[in-house]
Amino acid sequence: MAAGGLEKLLVANSSDIFPRQRKTTLPGGYMGRILRVDLNSGSMKDENLPEEPMLRKFIGGQALATYILLRELPLDAKPYGPENKVVMMTGPITGTGFTPGGTKVTAVYLSPLTNHTLGRGAASGFWAVYLKAAGYDGIIVEGAAPKPTYLYINEGRAELRDASSAWGKGATETEDRLRAEVGIKDAKVMCIGPAGENLVHAAMLCNDYNHNAAHSGGAVFGSKKLKAIVVHGTARPPLYDRARLIEAGLRWRKTLMVRHEAEKRTAGHAVDLGAAPNFNFRSTVIEESHIEGFDKNRVTLRPCFQCQRLCPWDVELKSGNHSGTVGHFNAGSEWLDTFYNLGVRGNDALYLAQRINDLGIECSHFSCGVGVAFEAWEKGLLNAEKTGGLKFEWGNVEVIDRLLDMAARREGYWGNLLAEGPVEVAEAIGGDAPKWVVHTKKGTPALHDWRPHFGQMIREIVASGGMKPQGGGSVNPPPDLKYREKWGPLDRNDPAGWSWSNALSEQYRQFCGLIGGCWFAQMHMKPDGLNSMIDSFNATTGWNFDIDQALEAGHRSAMLQSIFGTQRGWIAEHDWKDVGARFLEPVPDGKHKGFTIAKWLPELVYEYHRLMGRHEKTGRPFMDTLKKLGLEEFQEWAQLD
Amino acid sequence: MNEKYGNLIPTGQLLDGKPRTILFDAIKCIGCRQCVHACKDWNDHPRTTVFEISSSNWITMEPPVLEGLSPLWARNSCMHCEYPMCAAVCPVEAITKYEEGPVVIDPNVCIGCEYCIYACPWGVISKDDLTHKASKCTMCSDRMSEDKSPFCVQACPVGALDFGLQEEVSAKARTRAQEVGGYVYGEKEAGGTQVLYVLKEKKESYGIRSVGPQKYPKHKISLPLMLKDLFTLRCGLQGKVRALYLAIIHPRRLLYRYWPWRQVV
Ligand code: SF4
Ligand code: SF4
Ligand code: SF4
Ligand code: SF4
Repeated sequence: MAAGGLEKLLVANSSDIFPRQRKTTLPGGYMGRILRVDLNSGSMKDENLPEEPMLRKFIGGQALATYILLRELPLDAKPYGPENKVVMMTGPITGTGFTPGGTKVTAVYLSPLTNHTLGRGAASGFWAVYLKAAGYDGIIVEGAAPKPTYLYINEGRAELRDASSAWGKGATETEDRLRAEVGIKDAKVMCIGPAGENLVHAAMLCNDYNHNAAHSGGAVFGSKKLKAIVVHGTARPPLYDRARLIEAGLRWRKTLMVRHEAEKRTAGHAVDLGAAPNFNFRSTVIEESHIEGFDKNRVTLRPCFQCQRLCPWDVELKSGNHSGTVGHFNAGSEWLDTFYNLGVRGNDALYLAQRINDLGIECSHFSCGVGVAFEAWEKGLLNAEKTGGLKFEWGNVEVIDRLLDMAARREGYWGNLLAEGPVEVAEAIGGDAPKWVVHTKKGTPALHDWRPHFGQMIREIVASGGMKPQGGGSVNPPPDLKYREKWGPLDRNDPAGWSWSNALSEQYRQFCGLIGGCWFAQMHMKPDGLNSMIDSFNATTGWNFDIDQALEAGHRSAMLQSIFGTQRGWIAEHDWKDVGARFLEPVPDGKHKGFTIAKWLPELVYEYHRLMGRHEKTGRPFMDTLKKLGLEEFQEWAQLD
Repeated sequence: MNEKYGNLIPTGQLLDGKPRTILFDAIKCIGCRQCVHACKDWNDHPRTTVFEISSSNWITMEPPVLEGLSPLWARNSCMHCEYPMCAAVCPVEAITKYEEGPVVIDPNVCIGCEYCIYACPWGVISKDDLTHKASKCTMCSDRMSEDKSPFCVQACPVGALDFGLQEEVSAKARTRAQEVGGYVYGEKEAGGTQVLYVLKEKKESYGIRSVGPQKYPKHKISLPLMLKDLFTLRCGLQGKVRALYLAIIHPRRLLYRYWPWRQVV
């Protein structure tokens, strides 16, 4: 056969990514294999990790996963079609045990929320560590199973099993059941709740009780009738230089801003942001009632695998109507703001937060939808006739509780509408309601009131042409980059510097994820915060990245994310045009009253894309950018003029 | 050292001869098991399991439920007894008590007779399925000889584990116990141990064993096991020869193995 012909064939089906036999040495930190699961036929296959040069380019996590997806996903794939794929990747520092934050797995797929951008869910906890212990760096899920199924990987052996006993169950119960079913206490479970099964567009992947990977991975799992992936094993990643890794990991640890139990008794991230969303983002004030009962609750920190930042925590409610409820949370606290936004306060908010996580609905999606509906009720656009007798009143815990179940099961008119999303809710209500929605490209931002904050707002609206941002202009730029960066004022009243700050932080946050690290444990604002992470990565793999190469790897990952969108119709103009009006309204009250970044749009968005090497309006990468990042193979999607 | 031990067990020195102690504060512990994984990481043990003591899991956090899901947690690992019965019963002197604290099994010397497993009042020694040697926590003697603290201790994210010179740590333990209205476990047990716990509730609530104050506590090695080791091929001919030779040159060391009824020396 002519060599040329063969080559073409290989490129077309991407098998040139995965060598049949490795020719280059596998760097440290990797297990060396990816499991490919075809749910249509039930067949499974081990793929070798790419050769060293490709691995060095994409490393792991989101970049490697997205690259695989870009190469394998047909352009006409539908999010819920069996042709959609979920590619899940860890990174080399996942599971070494010697660094903080070595816990990450990132899943990518075509997003059912937007239908045209990259969906990305990233999870911490323990699951990713045990996936590697089972012998795999990642998983590619293809096709769709005929009936509820779960994937069980134990010590390098994978099998598909019947999931009917767990179908319909919440995430916590599913985890317990499947762990019992495989009979291994140490096994770790990533699963979907009823929301995923019923294709609620924003359904999450849930793992290790406290962890949720948002942004619709759960819905794609559901469309494939894949209830869970259970992993267990005893292997550990080989390390290039263990002693150096231990030393670098300890340095990294010193940069952490350790969280405390006391923080878990506050209104969470809203306190840091100086604003809580209330009544569908119409007030930002935080009152005593927000945290009523929190002081009496039993709170236990429940850290991720070998990470000392102490984000996740458990709570047992000690007062209120749901006293005795146990909740499992991570640090983000968007689930708290989710219910503050609906007028719920104190322990009731924690109760509902546990419910929504267990059902597996991305909390912001629900909150932004219900928020509009409640506002419509308040303003007389809805009445009991239209709501099936449910009183859409702020703070009505019973009604919200009921709506949660309805949404997760797409039950009735409202359940179905809420499962679709806030934009659909607003359109169905009509009148002025579409002006009250908070959304970005039809997805929803992690539910906090980001509006008073420059960097975070840019991050949320651009998100590199996707829905899930990484990074976010910080007012504390990394000291490790001081030697070469000029920051500009980073002042609330001055747009200068913010776009660059976002572009840069996106790059190092991306890098952190690619190597298998959790960007919550990535403390750029402290000296040595970036260097200790890069050194940990080098000691693990045996590569020798400097800070510029690390940033470039992050940049490449962000670029793959936008190329995926470009291929499917995303343009940069969507970033500021396809945003819910409420999200761009001036802050209604409080410390930051009147502030909005809207007055600097679209220039901020344009500037951000220019700085990232994309065309400001189309969002396509320039040829120079592709060359710099070694992505010439995607030149077909480049901006040519 | 020899005065204290009357030449009853093998002793040695790793660093400066100053005794050290690990402190476990049950009031601070959140049950995260980072200490358990840290021990595995340092000793390159397989990732799982974490719920039982085994030759590849030298420490457990009890009860055996998922991380964080119990209101009370207790460390379960070698207590590094000042008068270690495991060392006293070993027929081949494979277990050494170091002046700095560690009680360490030398797997190259161990013949797998299992006496120590039955002798340990805390039941924290296991037998390696592959090598048939006894295995347990070393108090990170390898790190201690470099003046570094045990790996589990440095891993604890909430400071529930501490390590230092015995006098200082004992004083700390007592102060802390007073502060929280609790008590110190390990100061008297088995004649004193070099791992101390600060507890608040009753021992039983933590699932911790009651161990009397007797030094070299009475062992539970069964007669059939002893006979089996004496009269069958178990433990190898070389092992038997070595045991016999040591019995001749150190006859006093037979006292604890074969005279469990003896009183404290
Ligand atoms: S606790 Fe058991 S194994 Fe540890 S020193 Fe004491 S007797 Fe020996
Ligand atoms: S198994 Fe026997 S030989 Fe080995 S350390 Fe224990 S008592 Fe000594
Ligand atoms: S002292 Fe060392 S060997 Fe013992 S449990 Fe801790 S880490 Fe493991
Ligand atoms: S690491 Fe510390 S807090 Fe965690 S289980 Fe061990 S002793 Fe307890």
